[in-house]
Amino acid sequence: MTTTQVHETITEETVREISESLGEPDWLLETRLDALDALGELEMPDVIRTPGRDWTNLDALDYESFVDPLNAAEEKDQVGPEDAEVLPISEAIEEREDLLKEHFGSVIDPEENYLTALSTALFSTGTLVYVPKNVDAEDVTIRTTQHSKSLFNYTLVVTEQSSSVTILERQDTGEDSEARSASDASGETASGDRYYSGIVEVAAGENSHVQYGSLQDLDEETYNYTLKRGNASDYATVNWVEGNLGSRLTKSSVETNLDGEGSETKTVGAFFGHNDQHFDIAARVWHNTAHTTADLVTRGVLDDEARSVYEGVQDVGRDAWDTNSYQRENTLMLSDESEADASPKLIINNHDTEASHSATVGQIDEEDMFYMTSRGLDDESARNMLVEGFFVPVLEEVEVEELREDLQDRIEDRLHE
Amino acid sequence: MSSEQDQLKETNTEERFSFKKDESAAVKSDKGLTEEVVRLISDDKDEPDWMLDRRLRALEHWQNMPMPTDWPGQPDLSGLDIEEIVPYIRPDVDKREGADSWDDLPEDIQDTFEKLGIPEAERKALSGVGAQYESEVVYQNMQEQWEEKGVVFCNMDEAVQEHEDLVKEYFMTSCVPPSDNKFAALHGAVWSGGSFVYIPEDVTVEMPVQAYFRMNSEGMGQFEHTLIIAEPGSEVHYIEGCSAPKYGTHNLHSGGVEVFVKEDAHVQYSTVQNWSKNTFNLNTKRAIVEKGGRMEWVSGSMGSKATMLYPCTILKGRGASANNITIAFAGEGQNIDTGAKVYHNAPNTKSTIESKSISKDGGRTNYRGLVHISEGATGSSTAVECDALMFDNESTSDTMPYMEIDESKVDVAHEATVGKIGDEDVFYLQSRGLDDDDAKQMIVSGFIEPITEELPIEYAVELNRLIELEMEGSLG
Repeated sequence: MTTTQVHETITEETVREISESLGEPDWLLETRLDALDALGELEMPDVIRTPGRDWTNLDALDYESFVDPLNAAEEKDQVGPEDAEVLPISEAIEEREDLLKEHFGSVIDPEENYLTALSTALFSTGTLVYVPKNVDAEDVTIRTTQHSKSLFNYTLVVTEQSSSVTILERQDTGEDSEARSASDASGETASGDRYYSGIVEVAAGENSHVQYGSLQDLDEETYNYTLKRGNASDYATVNWVEGNLGSRLTKSSVETNLDGEGSETKTVGAFFGHNDQHFDIAARVWHNTAHTTADLVTRGVLDDEARSVYEGVQDVGRDAWDTNSYQRENTLMLSDESEADASPKLIINNHDTEASHSATVGQIDEEDMFYMTSRGLDDESARNMLVEGFFVPVLEEVEVEELREDLQDRIEDRLHE
Repeated sequence: MSSEQDQLKETNTEERFSFKKDESAAVKSDKGLTEEVVRLISDDKDEPDWMLDRRLRALEHWQNMPMPTDWPGQPDLSGLDIEEIVPYIRPDVDKREGADSWDDLPEDIQDTFEKLGIPEAERKALSGVGAQYESEVVYQNMQEQWEEKGVVFCNMDEAVQEHEDLVKEYFMTSCVPPSDNKFAALHGAVWSGGSFVYIPEDVTVEMPVQAYFRMNSEGMGQFEHTLIIAEPGSEVHYIEGCSAPKYGTHNLHSGGVEVFVKEDAHVQYSTVQNWSKNTFNLNTKRAIVEKGGRMEWVSGSMGSKATMLYPCTILKGRGASANNITIAFAGEGQNIDTGAKVYHNAPNTKSTIESKSISKDGGRTNYRGLVHISEGATGSSTAVECDALMFDNESTSDTMPYMEIDESKVDVAHEATVGKIGDEDVFYLQSRGLDDDDAKQMIVSGFIEPITEELPIEYAVELNRLIELEMEGSLG
């Protein structure tokens, strides 16, 4: 039923060309070609449907107009400490093919849905982060600045036993983006629509600790599809922080499989939408075994005609004895034209569980406003302070200072825009 | 007259209500659903043409609509054989159905009734024994009182004849159109029986209006339709069914309920349903509430193989409010999928949803609910609270709320908790001298108290006893 026939415009040659330019081995090329073949049968990622409406309509997007894999252009910083390996994907293919072969597609099935397969077939940039046993790697930074119409990014994080890593990822759009200059030059009124696709796989080894923070600040002509998923082994921790500020439309999901006994995850989400941005954000966790803990915390603010869709899923499997699972989501609406939809779901197949979830939607409290203005603040300053205050409980959950400050700064910028 | 026995899909569980009624049906339609069947029903009821037209339109929707199959985690409806449904049986009222006397009932049924503490007169009525019972007399007396006030409470079929204008205006038009969902369409095509309740302006009906007073005259059917019209300023509490095990030879129950709550009127609709465990229970219940009106749904869902029930309230007028209280109990082999839907379409509308579910011995409960706040519904508030209790690791419990908030000046909150019965609580009660079973029962009774306190005392007592029996497994 998909209205997008972009896969018919992508040839096998295109995929071979990308693969060749990265110097890929045959197995990876095969994986790409299989994903390309599967496009005809695959569905778009699931969106929430309630009677009479889809909360996000991914089929309506004109993929053909913004998927341009051969002209991918970006700036990327990939830095990390000495004792961990942080490699661009082309070097990773050369130096760590073993790791890629073992883990590529093991956390996220390349053919899970239409957009994962599209990304698998066309990714031309990416990063491998490898942390050996007992190594503590801090300050791994991956910064991606998109300069082209489309960009398909792939990230793989592998942590060995008892290691730890802190990764900060940022996405934004370059000022002199090719997409714009191309359309300007031809004099056409071609839309400046762009597409960013990011797939992140995390394989967290026994007793390892992964913190993965990302700040998405793409320009507001970019459609963004992001899927991040981690598999946590015994006693491993996979913590996510995801801030969404940019893009025209974002469909993002942050997910953890708690596969190992005693594994843990904490997902912290913050979004701030304005103009006519649309954020479809999901946080999901699967408790697959005993003694696992999950905490999902998301807060978002909406202004103008922005719209948010939130889905949280806590799935407690049959074998997940002694599970603790918590979820909270709060949305603050600053304007009448905005819309916030939320669906926090609990799926419980093991009764030895302590689980709760909650979601709220509301506006700035008038009494709070009155208090602040009666202390001499003007309306706008009072509002801004209250919005900043609203994010505090989420920001407090962010353990990495740099990311916390970044997020805070961007929130302040947005308030003063 | 053939017996319906063949149609009852034998379940492996001991059938709690395992006696069969000998059908003495004067008219019985063929199996399956065709235009002839629908015409036969309408003809037999001597319905006006407009009603036949509505039935045929509904039939068309039924034939063209998909089964609801794409809901995440929904009950499996594959065991439902639509072709096997006999949509219409008109009981021959001159002949009594069922067992001839109380003593003919199987022991376990008698036992259940006794344990429930249901008065003997009612037992007989409920179990389909005999037509002479005291509540008939009570019903007659009440009829007189109501008539003085202009209150109408009659069979839906009667209402089509006697109150044609009202029915024509309200029946499956603006509230539950047959195009709403596949089973609403089925219902619209083959509905039969049910209650019609009309409360004139500013009239308060003190005593709950109870459908089971008329049980032996088609009060309970397979496709019964309930239509309640509460004129401005009126007040009524309607009670459907009762918590005694309800035995049906059909494997599909698809009722329809439409409630019109006019300005400042107040309607409470309570139901505790306990279908036998071979039944698919797929209902559409909806209320439209005008300015300042209040609608309350109290639903207890027990029994059945699968239940899908989400009473819906449309808050159409300023200051309208809705309260939903639901309880679901799923035992072995049962899948109870219930919740509530509320649409806030006007300013200052308020709603609360309180849902409690208990799953045991592999039972499956799911809360599924939707709260929609439309643009312009400023000052609206909604609070949803779901709690689930699980007894063992074969059971499952899911919570799937949906919130669509299109207005900023609102207050929306949803909360849910899931837990097992606390070992510490049980230990505490045991240390006070209760045995394990009694302790658990007491915890469950406390857990469902918010529901039972909303019911008239006799129902509350019944519901509590019923849950006790379920806990003992003596009904399963």
